[in-house]
Amino acid sequence: MKKAHTHSRRLFLQTSSMLASLAFIPRSVKAFYLETRNFLVASKKTGSLAVSVNKKLYTVEADTRTTLLDLLRENLQLTGTKKGCDHGQCGACTVHIDGKRVLSCLTLAAMVPGKEVTTIEGLSDGEHLHPMQQAFIECDGFQCGYCTPGQIMSAVACVQEGHTHSVTEIKEFMSGNLCRCGAYNGIVEAIQKVAS
Amino acid sequence: MQPFFEATDYFPADTDGRVEAMAKVTGKAKYSAEYQAPGLCYGFFATSTVAAGKIVSIDTTLAKQADGVIDIITHEHKPLVPGLADETKIRESRFGLPVFHTDKIYFKGQPIALIIAETLEEATYAASLITAIYHAETHNIDFELSHPKVALKPDGKERGSLQAWQQAPRMVEAEYTIRNEVHNPMEMHATIAHWTADNKLKLYDKTQGVNNVQRTMARLFGIPNDNVEVMSEFVGGGFGSGLRVWSNTLAATMGAMQVKRPVKLMLSRPQMFMLTGYRPQCWQRVKLGADENGKLLGLYHQGRNSTSMYENFSEGFTRECRLIYTVENLKTESATVPLNLSTPTWMRGPGDCSGDFAIESTVDELSYLLKMDPVELRLKNISNEKDPETGKPWSTNYLSECISRGAERIEWKNRPTGSGQLTDGDWKIGYGMAVGMWGAGRQNASAGIKMQKDGSILVQTAMTDIGTGTGTGIQNVAHDSTGIPKNRIKIELGNSSLPPAPSQGGSTGLSSITGAIAAVCNALKQKLVDYATVVDNAYKGMNIADLLISETGISARSGNAPSISFTVLFDTNHIDTIAVEASAGPGDERQKFSFCSSAAHFCKLRVHTKTGKVKIERMVCTVDAGKVVNSKAAANQISGAAVGGIGMALMEEQNADNALGSLLANDLAGYHFAVNADAPIIEVAFINKPDFNSNPSGAKGIGEVGIIGCAAAIANAIYNATGKRLRDLPITPDKVLMG
Ligand code: FES
Ligand code: FES
Repeated sequence: MKKAHTHSRRLFLQTSSMLASLAFIPRSVKAFYLETRNFLVASKKTGSLAVSVNKKLYTVEADTRTTLLDLLRENLQLTGTKKGCDHGQCGACTVHIDGKRVLSCLTLAAMVPGKEVTTIEGLSDGEHLHPMQQAFIECDGFQCGYCTPGQIMSAVACVQEGHTHSVTEIKEFMSGNLCRCGAYNGIVEAIQKVAS
Repeated sequence: MQPFFEATDYFPADTDGRVEAMAKVTGKAKYSAEYQAPGLCYGFFATSTVAAGKIVSIDTTLAKQADGVIDIITHEHKPLVPGLADETKIRESRFGLPVFHTDKIYFKGQPIALIIAETLEEATYAASLITAIYHAETHNIDFELSHPKVALKPDGKERGSLQAWQQAPRMVEAEYTIRNEVHNPMEMHATIAHWTADNKLKLYDKTQGVNNVQRTMARLFGIPNDNVEVMSEFVGGGFGSGLRVWSNTLAATMGAMQVKRPVKLMLSRPQMFMLTGYRPQCWQRVKLGADENGKLLGLYHQGRNSTSMYENFSEGFTRECRLIYTVENLKTESATVPLNLSTPTWMRGPGDCSGDFAIESTVDELSYLLKMDPVELRLKNISNEKDPETGKPWSTNYLSECISRGAERIEWKNRPTGSGQLTDGDWKIGYGMAVGMWGAGRQNASAGIKMQKDGSILVQTAMTDIGTGTGTGIQNVAHDSTGIPKNRIKIELGNSSLPPAPSQGGSTGLSSITGAIAAVCNALKQKLVDYATVVDNAYKGMNIADLLISETGISARSGNAPSISFTVLFDTNHIDTIAVEASAGPGDERQKFSFCSSAAHFCKLRVHTKTGKVKIERMVCTVDAGKVVNSKAAANQISGAAVGGIGMALMEEQNADNALGSLLANDLAGYHFAVNADAPIIEVAFINKPDFNSNPSGAKGIGEVGIIGCAAAIANAIYNATGKRLRDLPITPDKVLMG
């Protein structure tokens, strides 16, 4: 037999269901029970956040554990920003914060009030595509399209950062954005096109 | 000579991208986890911490007390799925892992509970509070130790005899091993399950085949197919992982049934390493005999791959050697090795990709033994005219042409004939090549067209587009068949209520669907002729080949039938739309011919002698995939597959820690596949000769041949550079240094 939990946790678990069924619980026992529960089960904390995304201000009540990525996708329904790993390892969630590329899965929502977040939905200027979006279309810089918003946000930053002097340099500075479809040919070409 | 499409010039100037390009670059494309539903709540899996045994009890007390938790599904607390009601039903269902319908644990990471909560954070946190007591049993996930104990069995027909060539003047024999590889599409598998009525189910599911999910879920839940609607309009990659219905789809559906609300369940990246298949680990041995002139005399290919304890999955890697070369004597044997891991599944170029690595490495080794150019050796032995397995003529097979053109492109003549001859400081430079083949299949498929009064059409099919460019291919074929301008052809895909189509896999997608598209275009034309006849009798009995469709109306290619505008056509017939549907599938041409796609892969690379780092400088892939329907999307497929091949050759590996029963890689930091900098600009070319026996568009499948052969080409180039024959994939720097 393998046991997966600690002694105190086990004791708590055994007694908690018993306690719940007793009508009259001495105050001290109840206090102990609640204290232990609170120790073992963290309760949810929320806060009101004012977040500016794509130049629009959203006031949301969010869980303190919510990442910017989940805030965008689940709370604001801005699903253009993708979740590929949730661990800062793939770049699918890349957004711009104050014009710099940032991984939104490694950014807590609580960190962004007062800053300007730009996502793929805010990249185009009204009906006009950003030149990088246009270049991705022309160069077929994607297949399934799932890494694409992250690639485009990174690509825009890559050009701004001036890391586009050679194919090698582009490839190096775009290597934080994984593409399992392997559409790297088109991605590089799109960046070259915009940079020139 | 045909022009060579390069990465930089393979775009015809007349196209402005794929049909779905706009949606994809603006973030508007919706993937499975991105839909809304009323009262949507979130699911998250808690998984087993042992690799074998039984669940004694699951403790959900703490989790239930966490904020936001609505319910927790376990094998003891669940809505019973009729199709998994007992052991017999489970077996008959062929569903694979009967999640929450068994107390058995088959592998570490198996879902034991589904937590359903109001928010993602709450579900994720509550899952961490689930504990279980197991009756753990001895597990085994050690393939290397286990496989020699499993007896090999003949697979496939033996050709000639093994004895006939044991005295062959030239003989090479070696063993090859490949670690588990994991598909890891960028989008994690996800499902939103919504029971819209008591027995009506709506699913947004990441899959390569909506009809497959529909049928599977209908069967499991005992409801008619029509009561299950499955949508997968955008699919964030698959590579085979979306060809089965996995536990997330079933669990989300059970969850939604239990809480009577829609449930969203997206696997985490670590769970993607356990719950959606992988390319199994394998061991192979190849023995190859030839005469002094390089004529192959005999081939003996054996291999074993890992599988799970609850299902048998055979990779089929001995298929490849039967396709490529004329070999009179050939014997193949295989076996599967059950381990305490989840079931592997088809991954891009399944079987053939692994088998090809062993075969094409061996052929390369033979070429050095013979002191013969590997290109020449291959050209000498390739079966150009007929399928060596069935004896039927190839419908088309331009593999030899692929080889010649690829060799020219990479300037093969510059390759040093011996190994380790070309150096540049601490680097050694080498050239390698290998070929790959894949049977070009075709399945039944159907499609529909709706024409509006303005003459624009909507083409519909249930087939998904996992990134291959299916929608664009369909648009191209519809345009070619009807003459309707592309900007007036809309495409709708990935919904089970549309005309049914096979799953997109095994390089059969485009080949299957283009037949249906051609058929439905003809049906449309026939309908137009019929309606036109009502307007003007001159159209009566007109051959549809003579019908012309323009932006404004229809006319006749010749004769005296007048032009008719769409307005007149629709008004006179009192109709608003014209709707047609048609199906098509393979016919008796499949009896007469064998079908294949093929490719030659060439690689130039450098190996750092002090660090063992391998840097691929050039990768040239020449492909025979029949007529290229969309050169842009097709070249992208091939270059993407080659990037996958680089990963397979140099970095992708899932390793096992048998002491703990754990797999080591469970995230994208621990499991490397090729990033942008790992790959050069891949140079792609197509022979581009149609195979009209294959289907009306003349196209042959393309998804697999791009990767089959890449790994061997790279390993062969490493040998050419260093003189080290590395037979264990992936070839990581340590192996290069120690080899
Ligand atoms: S989801 Fe943020 S880096 Fe992968
Ligand atoms: S386009 Fe599919 S992952 Fe990049």
